Amino acid sequence: MTDMILSLVLFTPLVGAVLALAMAGDLAKYARYVALAFTALPLAVTLYLVTAFDASSGYQFVDQYAWIETSFLSIQYIVGLDGLSLIMVLLTNVLMFLVVLFSWEEKERPNFFFALLLGMQVGLLGVFMAMDYFLFFIFWEVALVPMYFLINIWGGPKRHYAAIKFFIYTHVSSLVMMIGIFALVIESAAVAGTGQLSFAFADVSAAAALFTQGFQVLVFGMLFFGFAVKMPIVPFHTWLPDAHVEAPTAGSVLLAGVMLKMGTYGIIRICLEVLPEGAVAWQVPMIVIALVAIVYGALACIAQRDLKKLVAFSSISHMGMVLLGIATLSDIGIAAGAFQMFAHGLITAVLFMVCGIAGHNVGTRQIPLLGGLAEKMPNYAAFMMIGFMASLGLPSLVGFVAEFNILVAFYNWGLSEGVVWTIIIALASLLLTAGYYLWAMQRSIFGPLTDKIDTSKVHDVSVYEGVSLAALCGLIALFGIFPALAWDFIFPYASDLAAVLEVFL
Amino acid sequence: MMFTEYAWLIPIIPLVAFLVIGFFGHRTPEGGGYIAVGAAGLAFVLSALVAYEVLTGRVTAPYVDQVLWLQISQGITLDFGLYLDNLAVLMMVFASLISTLIFIYSIGYMHDEGEKKRRYYTKVSLFLTAMLGLVMASNFLQMFIFWEIVGLCSYLLIGFWGFKHPKGEKASAAAASAAKKAFLVTRMGDVALLAGLFVLLNEFGTLNYAELFSAATLAAADSSAVALGSVLIFGGVIGKSAQFPLHDWLPDAMEGPTTVSALIHAATMVKAGVYLTARSFPLFVQSADVMLFVAIIGGVTAFYAATMALNNMNIKRVLAYSTLSQLGFMILALGAGGYVVATGVAGGVDVSGAKAFGYTAGVFHMMNHAFFKALLFLGAGSVIHAVGSEDMRQMGGLRKRMGITSITMLIGTLSIAGIPVFAGFWSKDFVLESVLVVAESSEPAAMIFLLLYLLALATAFMTAFYMFRLWFMTFCGEEGEASKHCHGESPPVMSYPLIALSVFAALSGFAILFGFNTTMTFQYVAGEFVVGGGGYAMLDVLEKIFTSPYAYLAIVIALLGIYAAYRMYYVRDLDPGRFNRDGQSALYQLLQRRYYFPQFYDGIALKMAYPAAMAVEEVDRKAVDGSVDGIANSLTGGSQMLRRIQTGFLQTYAAFVVGGVVVLIALIYIIGWITGGA
Repeated sequence: MTDMILSLVLFTPLVGAVLALAMAGDLAKYARYVALAFTALPLAVTLYLVTAFDASSGYQFVDQYAWIETSFLSIQYIVGLDGLSLIMVLLTNVLMFLVVLFSWEEKERPNFFFALLLGMQVGLLGVFMAMDYFLFFIFWEVALVPMYFLINIWGGPKRHYAAIKFFIYTHVSSLVMMIGIFALVIESAAVAGTGQLSFAFADVSAAAALFTQGFQVLVFGMLFFGFAVKMPIVPFHTWLPDAHVEAPTAGSVLLAGVMLKMGTYGIIRICLEVLPEGAVAWQVPMIVIALVAIVYGALACIAQRDLKKLVAFSSISHMGMVLLGIATLSDIGIAAGAFQMFAHGLITAVLFMVCGIAGHNVGTRQIPLLGGLAEKMPNYAAFMMIGFMASLGLPSLVGFVAEFNILVAFYNWGLSEGVVWTIIIALASLLLTAGYYLWAMQRSIFGPLTDKIDTSKVHDVSVYEGVSLAALCGLIALFGIFPALAWDFIFPYASDLAAVLEVFL
Repeated sequence: MMFTEYAWLIPIIPLVAFLVIGFFGHRTPEGGGYIAVGAAGLAFVLSALVAYEVLTGRVTAPYVDQVLWLQISQGITLDFGLYLDNLAVLMMVFASLISTLIFIYSIGYMHDEGEKKRRYYTKVSLFLTAMLGLVMASNFLQMFIFWEIVGLCSYLLIGFWGFKHPKGEKASAAAASAAKKAFLVTRMGDVALLAGLFVLLNEFGTLNYAELFSAATLAAADSSAVALGSVLIFGGVIGKSAQFPLHDWLPDAMEGPTTVSALIHAATMVKAGVYLTARSFPLFVQSADVMLFVAIIGGVTAFYAATMALNNMNIKRVLAYSTLSQLGFMILALGAGGYVVATGVAGGVDVSGAKAFGYTAGVFHMMNHAFFKALLFLGAGSVIHAVGSEDMRQMGGLRKRMGITSITMLIGTLSIAGIPVFAGFWSKDFVLESVLVVAESSEPAAMIFLLLYLLALATAFMTAFYMFRLWFMTFCGEEGEASKHCHGESPPVMSYPLIALSVFAALSGFAILFGFNTTMTFQYVAGEFVVGGGGYAMLDVLEKIFTSPYAYLAIVIALLGIYAAYRMYYVRDLDPGRFNRDGQSALYQLLQRRYYFPQFYDGIALKMAYPAAMAVEEVDRKAVDGSVDGIANSLTGGSQMLRRIQTGFLQTYAAFVVGGVVVLIALIYIIGWITGGA
């Protein structure tokens, strides 16, 4: 079946990127219009796809072409959407559009800036749409490169260090992941006895039932490592706070909002789907890793003075939640983990925008220097509060639905394994989370207006910032009140996957 | 047409007001105050109509109407809807009624707040929405959602002056800190409550009241899971209703505007915990131990909190401790009533409403307290508004200057002290009697309940004492420093709500003779749990109270308390300094310092969480990140290499990419050759 519509979504931003890049010199300041148009179109088409999607069946809108087809090698261009990829594509396109809007007043080399954003969008969309491992890997790399430049050119004072660190971590993990992918492809060719190395998801999955347990455990480990560094997990996380602190706001939003989800997406899509026995063997280590990330991230947040670094560490904690849900290998857990990816994407976008505004509208993000900003920036204070409240899991906002279901799944797991006390660790993190957010608000927007910095030039959010923040807050509330709008796409997928995994539990 | 079918509109009305005021409030008079009043009033009218239909049996209670919210697993759904029984409609009526009165009062009280008024009415409208949603919810999850939103509103409103406080920076900082504390301390309880939901969901596969409250379902369940779930849910109650040991946020919450203290921290939100306990009765009564625990927490809180009110000089704080103490009364009564039912359930014996009237007593006291405590807080607000101080030592002699306030507050004070025939008398007597019933029984825990009864009696004495101390110090004697600034009685928009509330505070106790006695009951009959029905007939209530020597004992105790206060603070021939070495005694200091509980909380935060966080940060920076940089440096011969990679990075990167692709393609072909050849 061939359906061009998905390829349209995928490559529209590429056209936009080329156009924007070409707008050098005086034209550069108009690049933002191109960026807005070329992110609006994929968003609009995605919204159509959401309405046309049938949640009860698997991959849809599949577009397929042979790429390299020889007797011993088969690489195809196949893209398609199932419930899991649909919400990730939706998230990507929503965030991209709003990030462009948020960055509307970018002055430094705007054509290159917007071109990079659009280029990154191609990579991200490709990762979530790809149905061929080779394609997946290529898009994976494509997504990372623009981020390097965003940090390195538009970043803060230590941007070079942060960019190279980001690059090295990412590539080491990509390398391990690549080896894992090769192992999968080779082994599936071997067990299928076709003699042709096919990178297509479908071919590998078809052969996967014949993988030995030992192979599954080994390759699961490699792929998991590759993906987990991206999430990131402790102790391979230190690239993240540095990258965030230095990255421009748009970069941070996309890094935390979408890019981290590539890791958890890979864990679900490849590790769990293809290597169920490996997943079962790795279940307890994954849960331990998740709990460590959750608590470690939350504790580190309390100690932070830089608002943005605080938010960066909170991402580690909340991505740990995603892994915790996934690692229960149950329908609720997987669905909730995926839902948390979506929720965290929306919420963290608000958080990083808020941090960015502190940086350029107030002049500093150092919490001890702030105070009483609600007086001068009431709208800003409101956005910050909504973002923080959503992130700490206030019911009626999207984060709660994710967290609640993850913890339900984790409680059920703990009870069935006789380690129900472990829920206390997860619950304690909820308290820590509330603690660091409320404390940060108390010190930054409440209390007496700070006299440590010059507040005479402090101004509230601009129109573009306000519109994108308001849209995000609206979505956070919408999906918090009507979570089924997103959940019902994921759940059938999670349910099927859990049924497969259950055989091996 | 049945109004109950439109009951879902009730929380929607203030929600609409919330949105309208939020966006357009600043363009309307009083920053949207009138919209808030109108919405609350409309919600009250509709609530009253629904209550009429439910209580008179025109609608079969419980009225359940729910829709699917989220399917989280095969056969496990989370729903959203209404569960309206006698308890729910009672809560709806008094929450919306008191809100209406307090919103009216706010128009006067908040008049000078300028642009902040819009924010105030936005938040209180949201609060009313959430409060109504909480009591009308059809399941524990939905209840929890609104439970957290009322907590959010509480946080926002305590911190209302968290910036730009009219009294300056120190007050701003105090308000911001109090707001944070309220949120965090109650969240400790909320986390327990959340865990309780996990337990129930795991055990029953549903959180819907209608399914959970079936005696057959509960009997078939794992009793230890039900008990664990109950205790965890009660953890949420301890936080929200500020019971020991999670009580310390409530006194600090007085940093908010007085109207907020009246509405949220006295009349409605803190009652959510009492409501939840009553709501969860079918679960809680599965275990007598759980109910004993509930009773002990209530009794201890009642006594403990009352002691702190004895020597406090801040008019709002005295009322806050009093609220804690009275909430303890309600919890105690529910625990005692539940204990009787629980032993009945265990023994397979029917327990009718009459035997288990602790339930009635707790719910009854909750309603009465809502009226007289709202009245007392608004009265205090009227005083503070007039004199500009919260310190009672600077007040005094205000009776002449503020006639309406002083008389309405006297009614509230008589009511809370338990003087016949004011509202508090009836319900406090019921609370004491319900504990006494268990103490006199042959139950194994009878001794404990006897102790609790004595604690409650002592509390009744202290209550009468500190409340009259408050009234005498404020309104009688010589004029204090602040009293001289008093510009007379508050405007009618403030004093009329006081009058309205004082009518309720005086008369709402008679409800026990005309309906409350038979509708707000909890029975275990023929193996089923029933809310409503049974109970005492009107004459039985009168007989029970006025022929019992214990009722007279309670009255005498209250009168003694008033007499002590009269001697110390009215006649002033008995110097309170004699009992506490002029404030130097250890006990006095212990009470002043709130039993060192604030330090205890700070200790947890500053001595445990913060050092742990700093340690993690240290490890992260030095060990984890340090080792990464260290390895990089040692591998590359110092930072030279890094710097070299950075300079001219484009070239390096291009080399990386080209090299990577070459390797990749080579790999593919090699592998292809191997496997192809095989």
